[in-house]
Parts: sequence; structure tokens; C-alpha cells
Amino acid sequence: MSTKTPTKEDILRPTNTFTKKYVALFGVCALVFGAFLVGWLYQLQQGLAVTGLSDWGSGGGVTWGLYIGAFIWWVGIAHGGIILSAAVRLLGMDRYMPVARLAELLTIAGLSAAGFYILVHMGRPDRMVTSVLGHYHITVNNSPLVWDVTVITAYFVLTATYLGLTLRYDISRLRDQLPSFAPEVGGKQLPDVYGLVYDAMTVGYSEKEDEIIERMVWWVALAIIIMAPLLLHGGVIPWLFAVLPNYPGWFGAIQGPQFLTIALTSAISGVILVSYAFRRAYDWDHIITDDIFRGLLLWLGFFSLLFLWLQLQQLTAGSFAPTVDHADATASKFSHPMYIVPILMVLGVLAYIFATTLRPSLFSKKRAIVAGVFVLFATLVEKTYFVISGFWYPTFSIYEGTPGEYFPSAIELMSVFGTIGMVTLIFLVVSKLVPVVELHAVEHLRGDHGHDGDHESAHDAATEPEVEA
Amino acid sequence: MSTDDESFHPLGEEWENDLEAMLDDTEYDSDLGMDMARDAMRVTKGELSEAEFHEKYHEDVMEEFGVDDRPTEEAYEELKAAEEGTFSRVLSTFEGDGEDGRRDVMKKMGAGAAFVGLGAWGTADAGEPEPNVAAQEDDDGEDGIQWGMAIDLERCDGCLSCVTACSQENDLDQGVNWMYVLDYEEPRGGADTSRNRLVRPCQHCTDAPCEKVCPTTARHTRDSDGLVLTDYDVCIGCRYCQVACPYGVNYFQWDEPDASIDEVREHAEQMGAENDHLYDERGRWTDSRAPRGVMSKCTMCPTRQDGFKGDEYVGTTACEEACPPDAIQFGNMNDPDSDPQTYIDNPSRGRALVRMDVSAPSADTLEEQLDGADDDLESVLDASEDLDEEMLRILLAIDIVTEEMGVGDSEYVEYEQNILEIFDVLESHGLDLASEDVLVPLRLADEPGEDDEFDGPSESDAQAALEAYAGSPESNFRLLEDIGTNPNIVYLGNEPGPNAQQVDGPVAYDDVGLTDNRKDVLDEKTVGDAGVSL
Ligand code: SF4
Ligand code: SF4
Repeated sequence: MSTKTPTKEDILRPTNTFTKKYVALFGVCALVFGAFLVGWLYQLQQGLAVTGLSDWGSGGGVTWGLYIGAFIWWVGIAHGGIILSAAVRLLGMDRYMPVARLAELLTIAGLSAAGFYILVHMGRPDRMVTSVLGHYHITVNNSPLVWDVTVITAYFVLTATYLGLTLRYDISRLRDQLPSFAPEVGGKQLPDVYGLVYDAMTVGYSEKEDEIIERMVWWVALAIIIMAPLLLHGGVIPWLFAVLPNYPGWFGAIQGPQFLTIALTSAISGVILVSYAFRRAYDWDHIITDDIFRGLLLWLGFFSLLFLWLQLQQLTAGSFAPTVDHADATASKFSHPMYIVPILMVLGVLAYIFATTLRPSLFSKKRAIVAGVFVLFATLVEKTYFVISGFWYPTFSIYEGTPGEYFPSAIELMSVFGTIGMVTLIFLVVSKLVPVVELHAVEHLRGDHGHDGDHESAHDAATEPEVEA
Repeated sequence: MSTDDESFHPLGEEWENDLEAMLDDTEYDSDLGMDMARDAMRVTKGELSEAEFHEKYHEDVMEEFGVDDRPTEEAYEELKAAEEGTFSRVLSTFEGDGEDGRRDVMKKMGAGAAFVGLGAWGTADAGEPEPNVAAQEDDDGEDGIQWGMAIDLERCDGCLSCVTACSQENDLDQGVNWMYVLDYEEPRGGADTSRNRLVRPCQHCTDAPCEKVCPTTARHTRDSDGLVLTDYDVCIGCRYCQVACPYGVNYFQWDEPDASIDEVREHAEQMGAENDHLYDERGRWTDSRAPRGVMSKCTMCPTRQDGFKGDEYVGTTACEEACPPDAIQFGNMNDPDSDPQTYIDNPSRGRALVRMDVSAPSADTLEEQLDGADDDLESVLDASEDLDEEMLRILLAIDIVTEEMGVGDSEYVEYEQNILEIFDVLESHGLDLASEDVLVPLRLADEPGEDDEFDGPSESDAQAALEAYAGSPESNFRLLEDIGTNPNIVYLGNEPGPNAQQVDGPVAYDDVGLTDNRKDVLDEKTVGDAGVSL
């Protein structure tokens, strides 16, 4: 632990400062996001012909591309909140408490980006409500896409509830130190807008509820944690592909676990990046400690190993004595840079993490960041390759136009930066509004948290070897 | 209505389960009711005598109802079949004879058993005008319509007429080839005896994965005729159907279609369609090119099937009509007498029929030519310029292998009728087509031994003649059947193997004003088209 003692003031710093850097970052993100929105508007006006997509088969292209790849990627990143919450709330790994809320916010932001991608990808997003909800009772029985929308929505609602509940505790206690904003417009005094938000979030709060809320939070966390791996990234998202027998690159039972490992690697990487950004911006060395990064990096290594292991399963099964269609799909993996490069990158990250466990001095936060960026890049490229290579090597590959051609259009490429900008904006806005580090975490770091102290220390001891390893 | 379940009732298992549920709602023993009903069925089938039936349940019935006046009593006592035995009489004899009494017993027996029994006894009672649910349902005997096609790949010329016709009929954009024809090569060699060509419309699968995955029900199967259609008003353009379809037959409307809605309407008028060629008989927008942002594919022409173009167009498609060698047979796959099914049954006959329709003389011409000629086979053949020996052999062979020539309403029946007209001319000229003197020289019958009688035409000889003339297809297959889609297109000819790769066909898409690869068109609108591919 750091020499400085974490204080309430520390975690309130983002809400009470307003720096040029902040404005600059905000401006850049808004610009990038705005640019993409313009692109999207143009797409809405012109139709999806502005993308690089086409019909697969005689249409000579792929019908799903970067939009879907990025959609999967964002849902995967959104898992960050879940793992951290799981670690903290259910498994008692209090070490990660300081980044738990950031991770949860990443879930909300990531899911928003994913949800946005669903809209961007559709030909008639305006019919989303009438067509999808209107026939929900029928389609939910067999359309994996409806399952996706259902689970993502449920996941979003649960996570938001969860975040809201834990925020009540903090806001009610820190209310006085939180900012206010009551502008005068045209000589008229408007009410404090911040205050309105806080009031709404803490309505009916009394300290008596803490215990109940804590239990509720535990249960909600449990629900989300069961749902996320089993249903979301180990379930409905891979099932979009894994249930279709006409694509050897997609079909099969392994996609569930494979997607989950990819999600977890990108999620941990996302948390590493976000945590590092906040630590740097607000001098939180003593809150988001090096120890946390070491721990996260270890987890990243573990999930990278699983990721590669499952890829190996597919490569082996697809090349030993494969069916004709499966052979083509696998052969492409052995030769296509969009597959080889990401795999090598993850392999490199794994090797680095392995090395740091043998020789801890190899660890540095910068390197951890590089590892995170590598993994995020790799997972985005791999997922996009996964989607488009499915269409390249379908079972019925007789067409001249198969494998089809595809290169994401400027608008599609812009969407990736646009959504990254959007997610960053969500962080920028939320961090001005509410503390992004839990009060609990500060209390915990100071060792003055009241609840089940014995239990905690037992856990600290139990998790100790992880750091040393 | 299901026919392959194990239910005893002619209306099938579902019906039976409903009855059982109804019985369960009464205070009487439903097992007894169902057992009796089951055995009543056996009586109607003759597996059980009425006497045995009566005896078997006598005790149970007495115990349950306290009275057993079933009509089988008579049979039981006299050990002979009852003259009349409708279930209504069973009912009326239980208690009293008025409507009330009857209803009472209905309740007692359980309305279900009453119906089951009614059906059963009704079937046994042939002349009885008693209302009979089962018999009524049985009468129509069909599973409803399922439009589909038989496509003879060995007859296809690769001329792309069908593709063009479809594109014109439906005002499709360039590259939107709902119907697609391709030649292919088997890299590791393959049968050289047949063409490597595939005609690929939507397969209108019975178990369509495209429909299953659709998040909106826009992609759906029409109850009335099994067509798999897209409701352009509902589709959100997620393209999941296109992903799930193993055949690659879907075409998304990536931008504003070339033909405006008004143009489509105008075109509909020119075609003489009573509707606007957009909305089908249910009022759902499923026909013609798709509007921007939704999915489209081969529709099998609902405007035609719904009779909006007139009755003569029902059971036809634009592609079928346009195909010069008649390689496409469109019709009801559930009807064994439909064009596609009869073609599948005997492709050589089908091919011969088509070819004869083109080359055989018309009855009138023939009549003129025969004028004044003798009535023996040789003279007839000599006199008629267009009818040679082989042709007559084939015409007769077609007749021999066909159960009933010229009956029904499929397209082929017309061809058959033309043949019958030719036969009429020949017969009235004095040529006995069923005689030894005609059939034996034409090698359609065996020459009888010295003392034997002539035993008429030989079906196997006739079939052999047809096969020799028209050939028989390499195989008969449905595309990617192992994927479980249950397609409704049956192909005759070579099945492409998993290594098959498309090669240039005899006619290029460009040559007939079509575009083969749609990406070429779409790339024009791609923002920042890098001109490279991943
Ligand atoms: S071929 Fe079958 S799966 Fe494909 S679009 Fe037609 S009905 Fe659907
Ligand atoms: S593109 Fe339209 S028809 Fe196809 S699955 Fe999506 S909503 Fe259904």
C-alpha cells in the first residue's frame, strides 16, 4: 500500500476539478463521436450501400462486417465490470475494490456502444420497437438475435440498478462535497441541476437501508455474474453464429467458451486502460495501486491462455481430418493476417505476463498498458475476422463471388473511433457527476471499514500468493 | 391434420388429445371412454366384430352408467352385425330419446367420446347422412398447397432467360439475381455424362432457417401455400435471414431501389395484374423488389399464385414461363399429379412430353396430310411429313406409361391433350393404335408366340423408349439436404459436390443486360472505397 492515505477528497477530485486537459479530451471525443454520427446520418439517408458490405454468395461480399465485429467486441469489453464485481462482491477480493466502479461504468458504457451498433447495423432502425417488440412473444422462441437483445437489455438494467444502488451509499454521505450547478439564465435562477440528479438518486435514503442494500447488491451481482458468462458472452452472442450449420468457421459448441475467453481478455484490458487513465489524471497512485495492475495483468494472462487454448482446439479439429468446408475455413486461419497477427499479439502478451511472474522486475505499468492495447486491438481484429471469414468459407461455397470481398468503408472505420469516443465521453461526464471510486474502497484502504473485518483479512491472506506469484 | 402419428383417430393425435382432455373434465371414466372409442374405430375397420366390442365393455359400461343399450347389444345377442349403428343411436338409447336425454348422455359419456364415437360409427355407416366430422375432413385428402419446383438441370441451356424474366417481372436492381444460374466445375473431376449447371432460386424451405432466425417475423411462411416471403413493412434489415440461409439466395436492398414504387405500380398495370404487384392476398407487402433497407429474395410470384394476374397464371412463375427448354416445373409439391411431381416421378416421360410438344405436328396439319392415305402404319407414316416412326413411338410410349392422359389441371395436361388429339386423328383415319400391327413394329409390345394372344403394350418397352429418346437424369436431389432445411426444389441432374467452383457459363450476365456480381454495383456507393479487400 502507498504511503499516502486515501481520503474522501481524493475520490471527489474528479468532480471538483475542471482542467484544460479535460476540456481538450472532451472536445476531441465529442468531435470524433460527432463525426461518426454525421457518417451514420449519411448512411441512414443513403442506405447501407455506403458501407463496404454486400450480399454473400453471388453478391460477392459479406453481409455482416466490422459493425458486427465491433458489436461483439464492445459486449466483450462490457464484461469488465462483471469480473471485477464478481471478484470484489462475491469472492471478497477487496484488492480490486478501488477499480470496481470504474469497471461497472465500463459495462454500462460498453453495452451502450454495443446497443448503438445494433442500430447502426440495421437497415431500418426506426422499426426496432414496432417490429421487434411487436412480435417479441413469437420471435423470442427461436431467434438468437432476439435472445441477444433480451439478454443485453436485462444485463444493462441489472448493471445500472446495481450501480445505482451502490451509488446511493456514496452520494448520501458525500452530498455536501459534491458539486452544484445552478446557472442564472436571463436573470432567472435555475435550480441546481446536479442537486436534482443527486436527489433523485438518493430519494428515500436512510442509513438503515445500508444493510439491506448490501444484501440486494450481492444478489444482483450474483444474478449478473451468472448471466454474463453463461448467457451473454458464453451464450447468446456466440449462439448468433454457433447455431448455424452452414458456416464451418462458426458452427459448433466451442464458440461459447471461446467467445467468453475473448470477452474476458478484452474486458480486463479495458479495465486496465481505464484505471490507468484515472490514476494518472487524478494522482491516484495510492488508490489504484501498482498492486492492482499486477493483479489485473495476471488475470489477463490467465484469460489469454484460455483464449489461445480454445483457438488451438479449433485449429486442431479443423485441420486434422476436417470435412471439405471446414478444411477451407481452417486453412484461411493459417494464412490470413487478420487471424495470425491477433493470435501472435495475444501470444506475445501471454509470454510477457508469464515472464513477469518469473521476474517481477519486468513489470511496469506502461508495459501493462501496452499489453492491454495489444489485446484490445487483437480481439477487435480477431472478432471481425471471425464474422467475415464465416461468409468467406460457407458450406455452400460454389459461387464465384465466394470468398467475397470486403474492406470496411470510411464510415464503418469511423464507427470504431466514434464509439470509443462515445464511451470516453460517458466516463468524462459520469466522473464529473459522481465519485468513480467507491467510498467503501477508501474506507477499506484506510482499514476503517466496519463490516466483517475478520473475514476480510482472512481473504487478504488467501489472495496474497496471487501477487507474489 | 397429421397422418403419420400413432393416433387411432382419423383426425390425428392432436384431435384425440383434445377429446381426452374434454373427457377428463367430465365425471365419468375417461380411460373407459377412450378405450371404447379406440375399439369402436377398430370395429369400423373390421378388426373387431360388433359382438366382441359389445361384450368387451359390457361390464364396464354397466358399472359406469348403470345401463348398456348400445346398438351393438343386438349384435352381441344375435352375434351378427348390426344393420345400422350410428353413434347418435348409441346416445339416444342410453336414456330417453329427446334432445335433452341425448345431451345428458353426451355429458355422461363425455362430449369427447361422443365425437370420437360419432366419427368412428359414421365411417362404418357408409350410406348414413349423419354429420361426420372425420369423413368431412378426410374428403379433401390433401395437405394443402406447397408450391415448389422440379428443375431439370440437364435441360437447362444456361441462357439466363429465367434470370432476366425474374428481374423484369420484379423490377430488380442490377445484381439482384433472385434467380441465379451458374455453371461449375468439379476440380477433382466428375461425371462427364451430365452438365454441371445449377439453377438457384430460393428453395422455399419447409423448415426455413431464415424464418427461424428472423427477429421480427418479417420472414415468414404463408400458411395458404407454403411460400417463404418477406414482409417489407416489418423487416428491420438486420440481415440475419441472409446469414442463416445456407444457399445464399437473399439480396438486401442496400440503397434506394432503381424502380420507384410508382414504376412498380405502373408495371403491374402493364402486366395486367389486378393488384399493384406489391401486396399479396393477405394485404401484406411481399412482392416485387424490396424498398430500401430491407431484405429480398425470390418470392415464387405471389401475385400470380393469388390469381391477381388471372387464373391462367396461378401455378406459374415468371422464370418457369420464360424457360425455353422448359427445364423448370412449378407446382404443388403436395399433389402427386402436379407438374413437378409427375416430372420427378418419370423425368424421361416429362422430357419427352416437352420435346414432343415442340416437334409433334398439330392434329389439324396431320389430318390434312393423311387425307387419302392408306390406313396401315407404313402408309400413315409416309403420308405425314412431320410424324415419323420415332415420334409416334414416343407419343405412344408416353401414353403407355401414363395412367390417365389429359386429366387434371397442370400445365402438362395440355401437352397430353395435344397428343390425344393426334391419336384421335390417327384412330379416325383407321389406324388402331392399340393393335399388334402398330405396337409391335414400333417396338412397344412383344410379338406374341404362334398360339398366344397379343397381350397389349409393354410398359417397360415404352419406358425404355422414353429413356433412350430423352435420357434419364444423373440423379435426383435436393440441395444441401443434410442441413435439414427441407427445401421444396427438387433437382434432376448432377449434384454439385463440396469442391464445386463456379466457372463461366454459356451466356454471360453482362451479355443479357444483367450484373453477375452485385458488389461491382454496390462499390460505387461505398464511402471511401479503398479498392482493396481484406
Ligand atoms: S432457400 Fe430456404 S433458407 Fe434460404 S431464403 Fe429460401 S426459404 Fe429461406
Ligand atoms: S433482414 Fe428482415 S427478414 Fe431478414 S431476419 Fe432481419 S428482420 Fe427478418
